[in-house]
Amino acid sequence: MPSDKNRDIIVTKNVTKTYSDSGIPVHAIRGIDLTVKNGEFTAIVGPSGCGKTTFLNIISGLDTVTEGKVWLGGQLLSQMSGRELSDFRRDSIGFIFQAYNLIPVLSVEENVEYIMLLQGVPARERHERVIKMLQLLKMEDFADRLPPKLSGGQQQRVAIARAMVAEPLLVLADEPTANLDSKSGGELLDLMRKLNQSTGMTFVFSTHDQMIMERATRLVTLKDGYIDSDNWRD
Amino acid sequence: MIGIYAKLAWRNVLRNKRRTLIAGAAIGIGLASLIFVDALMLGMEANMIDSATSSFMGEGQIHHEEYRKAFDAEKTTLHLSEVTNRLDTENVVEHYTERVMSFGMLSSPSNASSVQMIGVNPSTERNLSETDEVIIEGDYFKSDNSHDILIGKKLAELLEVELGDRVVLTTAQAHTGDLAQEMFRISGIFYFNVRDMDSYFAFIRINRAQKMLGLPGEVHQIALKFTKDNIGRNAEHPFWSRYAKDGNEAVGWAILMPQLENVFDMTEVSKWVVGLILFAVVALVIVNSLFMSLYERIFEFGVLRAVGTRPLAMGRLVVFESAALAVISIVMGMLLGFFLLYIVSQTGINYSGIEYEGVTFRKLLYPVVEVRQFVVYPLFAFLFTLLIALYPATYAARLIPAKAMRKSF
Repeated sequence: MPSDKNRDIIVTKNVTKTYSDSGIPVHAIRGIDLTVKNGEFTAIVGPSGCGKTTFLNIISGLDTVTEGKVWLGGQLLSQMSGRELSDFRRDSIGFIFQAYNLIPVLSVEENVEYIMLLQGVPARERHERVIKMLQLLKMEDFADRLPPKLSGGQQQRVAIARAMVAEPLLVLADEPTANLDSKSGGELLDLMRKLNQSTGMTFVFSTHDQMIMERATRLVTLKDGYIDSDNWRD
Repeated sequence: MIGIYAKLAWRNVLRNKRRTLIAGAAIGIGLASLIFVDALMLGMEANMIDSATSSFMGEGQIHHEEYRKAFDAEKTTLHLSEVTNRLDTENVVEHYTERVMSFGMLSSPSNASSVQMIGVNPSTERNLSETDEVIIEGDYFKSDNSHDILIGKKLAELLEVELGDRVVLTTAQAHTGDLAQEMFRISGIFYFNVRDMDSYFAFIRINRAQKMLGLPGEVHQIALKFTKDNIGRNAEHPFWSRYAKDGNEAVGWAILMPQLENVFDMTEVSKWVVGLILFAVVALVIVNSLFMSLYERIFEFGVLRAVGTRPLAMGRLVVFESAALAVISIVMGMLLGFFLLYIVSQTGINYSGIEYEGVTFRKLLYPVVEVRQFVVYPLFAFLFTLLIALYPATYAARLIPAKAMRKSF
């Protein structure tokens, strides 16, 4: 679990991404320099098409840069092989998706323990950590349920548990409240903020949601592939 | 670790039950067809061997080594008493019978026809051939009259004769070539349902045939029936070398009717061709089913990759899903195959009267069921399904998470 507040978790230098759309070059990201430190609760905001998605794909190692460099936890992503990147994501990044994206044929407990299975954590330890995390998120009574039998808010709680149970360096959350009503969304954000404060885990959101913006300690606004503003808040 | 993929694969396969059932049925039908065709081919083989050997020819024969070249009546089996004495001591020989054979002319007041005159010993002949069983009018050498003759139904129609009518058999003496002629009374009319036999065969008693041919105590052929099935087919069996010497030849049905082995070889090839076509279709079904399942869950695959599942593990998941599909398909295929075989083994298939490569099917055709069919083909289907799954598995392993999840961030 990271605890050094001055440690750089994400560092990007001149990150550029250009892709071709029907032969026409599209400049999704144009030379972004950004540093995210340990324990931040940062939101990347901006209108649709500003490059939020592409930027998150790049800093998570799901996509490659056209130019520039990305360090995550001090490691340069471009030097990693596909397998090393898979292992790095498994051990260092927790993902929370807009549509929850739990594995529908696995129970809540199996979904949450999946990453630890990949990590080779022993069964007993896995079970203990899953139960502890589900208790923290008040989902312990649903451990045997399949995701389709849960409400949207409950599914997103399970997704948070899955993202955090392996104690990653960083949690990346893509519009985590987009499919939730404002009450459930607000509760979940408060919960994530609480976990951020109690564990020191770094959270980076991509969002339009005013509720996230209100809770974020840092707002990075993208516009046309550039950083338009970068504001710290108390 | 393997356990979670096996669990995921099994549950994923059961997720879309209709698609799994349709894909499983397609593979299952392919497997059932292969099992059924194999059993039917074996049945056909057994039926053809039985038709060829048990109706008249026997499972093997002993002759003079030059007899089969031109069916020369002078070429009688050498050292006959020595041969038959030895045959009496053979454990593998269930029955044997001696025959005298020559060509001749059978005449009635209305017509005449060339015939194959066959002199038989009525008591031993009935152990070798079915001549006694196919008599449709009259009797099988019931009386002591040495001038009884049995002719086929078609020959009787040609000669316009009936039971009890007189006919004249003319043949040439073996050594002198002088014509020998005797009158016979039709004591029986047979119907083998084999055109050549019903049109050309005329059975008389062996001593009468020997007398007409001037070959007292001599025979042209010793027909054999064995206690074991495979001797007639196996030219390497030591039995043959014990008799193929001193101017005689001893051969099994596979040599007497080489076209049968050719038919069986061709049948084997046909079976594999049918199998390949079936499995090519099945391969398309498997690939289609796995890709449909993969595309439908492409986002999920992207998520699995994103959270750290290695490429190889993604491929393994697809292979496991295909294995689960194969298990379901194999169960369906085996049940369907068993059901089909059960039905056909009760009803049989009627090919009687149909002639193929010199053999006329005379009995109902029944499939021959072997354990091998329910072990080898399902195993083949399983391995084949895994092999085919390598293509979608490779696709899954190479998925780029960002592309798979492009609807997300």
